[in-house]
Amino acid sequence: MGFAVALAVAAVAGFIALSYEILWYRVISYASWGLPGAFGLLLAAYLFGLAIGSRIAGAFCKDKTQAGDTKQLRALAVFTFVANLVAWLVVPAFGLSAKKYDWPPALAAVAVAAALLGAILPLVAHFGIKPDEKAGANLSYIYLSNIIGSAAGSLVTGFVFLDQWSLPTIGAVIACIGMVLVAALLFLAELPSTGRLASLASLALVSVLLLKATPAVYDRIWERLLYKRNFDETSTRFLDIVETKSGVITVTQDGTVYGGGAYDGRVSTSIQHDRNGIFRAHALAAMHPSPKRVLMIGLATGAWAQIVAHLPHVEKLTVVEINPGYLTLISKYDQVKSLLSNPKVEIVVDDGRRWLNRHTDQKFDAVVMNTTWNWRGHSTNLLSVEFLELVRSRLLPGGMMYFNTTSSDDVKKTAATVFPHALRVYNFMAVSDSPFSFDKERWRTTLTTMTIDGEPIIEDSADGKAFLDELVSYADSVNGPPRDDGIEKRESVLARVDAAGAKIITDDNMVTEWRQVLRFQEPP
Amino acid sequence: MPGRLWIYAVFLLSGFAALLYQVVWQRALYTIYGINIESVTMVVTAFMLGLGVGSLAGGIVSKDAKRPVLLYFSLVELGIGLFGLVSLSVFHAVGNVTLGMSAVPTFIVTFLLVLVPTMLMGSTLPLLVAHLVRENKNVGKSVGTLYFVNTLGSAFASAASVLFILGKAGQSGSIRIAALLNITVSLLAYVAHRRAMRPGEVARTLAAAMTTDENAGDGGARDGTAASAEQPKAMESV
Repeated sequence: MGFAVALAVAAVAGFIALSYEILWYRVISYASWGLPGAFGLLLAAYLFGLAIGSRIAGAFCKDKTQAGDTKQLRALAVFTFVANLVAWLVVPAFGLSAKKYDWPPALAAVAVAAALLGAILPLVAHFGIKPDEKAGANLSYIYLSNIIGSAAGSLVTGFVFLDQWSLPTIGAVIACIGMVLVAALLFLAELPSTGRLASLASLALVSVLLLKATPAVYDRIWERLLYKRNFDETSTRFLDIVETKSGVITVTQDGTVYGGGAYDGRVSTSIQHDRNGIFRAHALAAMHPSPKRVLMIGLATGAWAQIVAHLPHVEKLTVVEINPGYLTLISKYDQVKSLLSNPKVEIVVDDGRRWLNRHTDQKFDAVVMNTTWNWRGHSTNLLSVEFLELVRSRLLPGGMMYFNTTSSDDVKKTAATVFPHALRVYNFMAVSDSPFSFDKERWRTTLTTMTIDGEPIIEDSADGKAFLDELVSYADSVNGPPRDDGIEKRESVLARVDAAGAKIITDDNMVTEWRQVLRFQEPP
Repeated sequence: MPGRLWIYAVFLLSGFAALLYQVVWQRALYTIYGINIESVTMVVTAFMLGLGVGSLAGGIVSKDAKRPVLLYFSLVELGIGLFGLVSLSVFHAVGNVTLGMSAVPTFIVTFLLVLVPTMLMGSTLPLLVAHLVRENKNVGKSVGTLYFVNTLGSAFASAASVLFILGKAGQSGSIRIAALLNITVSLLAYVAHRRAMRPGEVARTLAAAMTTDENAGDGGARDGTAASAEQPKAMESV
């Protein structure tokens, strides 16, 4: 194999390997609800496979005279073909594994595929580099070429493919790129013309079969990964799937939204038929007398933003959402789509923490976050002391931060320690530098006068009246013994979480993400 | 010539430390620049380019057969460890200054931030490949085995980081562990370098001794020549 061919093969092999890795990363992220431990174990399996692959490749490199020998291209072509085929099957392997054992067994498929993909680089190096004094230097060129290919794979697959195509389509496209590489190797190999023609024709046939088979082999992969053992062919089909470079959003038949595989709420704004604890959004009005300027980090289904935008006194709601796919989703649902045209609402696509860091001039009466699960990867960025201090610096006098603890004692402790005034409202914490309370009269007024798109939030009926009385009485729960769904004062919160061994979350310790490395959620 | 097992063990530890850095540095950079796909891609690409440039640099250095590649490897590991110790402070300081920048300047700054350590990391494989190929003349075997042990070290680090290290030591503690490993690797590589040098030093000493003897009389002149002739061979194997 010539050195130029070796460089090209190393680059394309890098492109393919990293593209597959991105797909597998997306799949395991969805299957594990974004568990940080799962990412680490995926990388471990991938690297372990690469290591084993390079070791196996060493066994093919026993003699010292193979550099520049075009006969070796045949062996490399066969090897690349098998590697590509196995790698293409890893995503379906995740689907199969999910049905019975969740995602861990699929890591074996990742390791096998990575082993085959990883063997290509040493083989290319052996067949393309002469064992002389320049071996180190020539290896560096091949290594660089492989890295450039990998970087291109990361950019093209991560930025373009994931934004344009569904997972099955991308799987088919990467497999085809792999087959083109195999074809090029066969074309350059020393083969009799009939043999070459037959090989290329067979390869073309396999590629067509592979393209045809992809929709069936990858069929309903997201449903398989979410429903796991509860998956069945008919009742678990998603109503909606939005795939962008920023993530995968799926909607089940009962309207439950899963962002990156994790429960992300429901498209429901009804407080009277509350399916998603939406009353917690209204509660902001009971604790802040006049929240004119509100920042919301995370949009998701839009239900919370829709409520907050209609709270009394709210003049401007700025929403920062990291995944633009939610805007597509919201535009399809009548209950929330008016958000997109509401002049009071500004939606920005960005990372919430970065946006706050970059907009030092913007201050708010309230910062609201219906935060995702505290144990998901990178949740620290929105829960740590450092982040809470950042939010504090953006609060106007009397301003309040109000956010979901997802029932984590660590989050409650951090919030109640950073701020001198705090209340727990169900699983949310409201915190401020100024004293505040859950005002029962303001709560009643909000519930009785508030409308959404012109409609009162509670029906004017006997049922509505009974519901209103019951909900207003929620304000009294602060006076009783602490209960999980009630309101609790700061001192009581701190005493209870301290007794439970809670820790303060920092950017450095990332407590909530590593409290339990492996956890498996019950499928819907 | 130090045993190959020695070299492999050293490179396994080096791969362990490198991945630990990568995990922590990426997290630190995502905290500063965001975890949106643009930032993630930017950081990953910067890492890869740094490794690639480092690989080139390592290759260029290893071209000259007289260069003591093991000593260079030792210095590179020391450099990674020293940078590692101050890395998080450097990232945060630079991150605070550059936060308001747009995408392209941010990429350039991120690239420059990780360029030094990733270049050093990227240079290690060509240096050690050059070292082994000088001995066994088999590129595939050398690349395959070194890549194997280094990547195996990284695989262990990836699993260990999520199962134990990050949860127990946090970001700064993990970085300290990685730096300690680098410094250990650097010392081990230096010892290997000295061991490889020793035959040459012995030869020089003998040659000097023989010259003295020769001045004193005829005896041993032939031995002195023989010992001097060993020197280039010993140097070549460094």
